[in-house]
Amino acid sequence: MLKNAILLSLFALSLSGCVGLNTVSMTQVPAERDNQITTSSSSWNFIGINFSNAFVDEAIDKLKSQCPAGKIEGVYTKHQTTGYLLVFKREVIVSAYCNEAL
Amino acid sequence: MPIKLQSILGLSFLLIGGCSQLHHVHIGNIDQSQGKLTPFTVEVNELGFDAAKTAEIGAEVAKSASTSDDLEFIALILAVSNFGPKTGNPVYNDAYAEKMVYEVIKSCPSKKITGLTSVREATSVGPISGEVVRINGYCIN
Repeated sequence: MLKNAILLSLFALSLSGCVGLNTVSMTQVPAERDNQITTSSSSWNFIGINFSNAFVDEAIDKLKSQCPAGKIEGVYTKHQTTGYLLVFKREVIVSAYCNEAL
Repeated sequence: MPIKLQSILGLSFLLIGGCSQLHHVHIGNIDQSQGKLTPFTVEVNELGFDAAKTAEIGAEVAKSASTSDDLEFIALILAVSNFGPKTGNPVYNDAYAEKMVYEVIKSCPSKKITGLTSVREATSVGPISGEVVRINGYCIN
């Protein structure tokens, strides 16, 4: 009986989704799309207890550093949460186009 | 479990539960080609209150069984009456984020703004929360 319960639990776990898509946003896409840049930043927590959302600012700094003297346009921002059994990973994934001034 | 110990445990969980939630993030275009950027932040924070959760906590720590049952019933009524899609705890002012536009304009005397990031987040301790709207951006000098 216990064996069946464990097997059933494992089967149920394998069927359940573990990623929650929180938000998606996008800005105006430029005509020049040769130089794509991507970055992400994340924050881990236990049973959803967090004390800061500073990882968002980290993503912006990383994005800026990839295009130091240009225009960052067509910014696609995805905010998602992935669950790993009591431990959760909050993540911001960003992709954009960098157009350097000529 | 003795009521005193239960109350202490409940309060501890309440304090541990003080946490930060990220509801929404939007990163805008960033123009670093026109000059030096000066960062600015504009933030509004409104008190959010979860009445149903308060009644639930009351039911947990109530000394008599009948009071506990009454509070549980009140918690159920409150939960059902506030059922539906929502972001964070309810607040008492539906216009608290409206002044953000003027604050953003005021923070940038050069009038050239870029890299606006909008964040909707909350910091909660038990049933009480700070419902925050934060805008980060850069002034082009």
